[in-house]
Amino acid sequence: MHEGFLGTAAPRYADLILLLELTMGLGLLFGAFLAGIRKFRAHAWCQSVIVLMNAASIVLFMLPSFRSHVSPRIPLKLGKSFYALAAAHAALGTVVECAALYILLAAGTTLMPEKVRLVRYRLWMRTVLAAWWVVILLGVATYARWYIPNLFRR
Amino acid sequence: MSSRTIWILGYTAAALMMTVVLATARGVAANPPQAATTEVKIDNFSFGPATLTIAPGTTVTWINRDDIPHTVVSTDSVFKSKVLDTDEKFSFTFTRAGTYPYFCSIHPKMTATVVVR
Repeated sequence: MHEGFLGTAAPRYADLILLLELTMGLGLLFGAFLAGIRKFRAHAWCQSVIVLMNAASIVLFMLPSFRSHVSPRIPLKLGKSFYALAAAHAALGTVVECAALYILLAAGTTLMPEKVRLVRYRLWMRTVLAAWWVVILLGVATYARWYIPNLFRR
Repeated sequence: MSSRTIWILGYTAAALMMTVVLATARGVAANPPQAATTEVKIDNFSFGPATLTIAPGTTVTWINRDDIPHTVVSTDSVFKSKVLDTDEKFSFTFTRAGTYPYFCSIHPKMTATVVVR
């Protein structure tokens, strides 16, 4: 297990994931800007790569960490802030990632049946982008609670 | 010496021996041999003491006094605790001499050592 590089008590992988998630959040905002200037192909590539990278980081890093540190204590210890924050981040993050994957399939492919394809793309995409940033902020709060000593001590 | 005197002396000797045996047994029961134990406190993102020297056979108990979960994991995979919440404990008995570095797997900056000799 390697020490992190951000000067907190976090392991290296947690520091990397934190920076990666913040970068991906900014990348999604840039992708939204690309749609705003009508560069739709670049927009599609940008958002698709980020959503798929996020899915990979969830499966490879966040899920194993959640399973070993948090899920054994749920629901008994949900009253404690470090478990509550991590659980909220995981729950909302799962919903948002699924919604983002759905948008990729519905908007970028013909794999979805016509009945369940999106009609109001813009509303859906903006809603998911806003929710994505809520998940990022929950992730930052989770990181701070778990890895920054004395931040929450009275 | 009459046979009655011999009987009396015999009973007295037997009673004395029983008293001694019972007293010894009670003494043993009251002070059973105790295994050595010692405690390491986890607080403020550190193990205290950072280096603990103990004799073989000693049981070390780690107790989490911090307000955040921690783990106790041997660098050489000799022992590994589950995630310890506030006030939860983990114990391990060191039977062999040696140096046992360990760390918290959630916060790898937290390191310490148990020396058994």
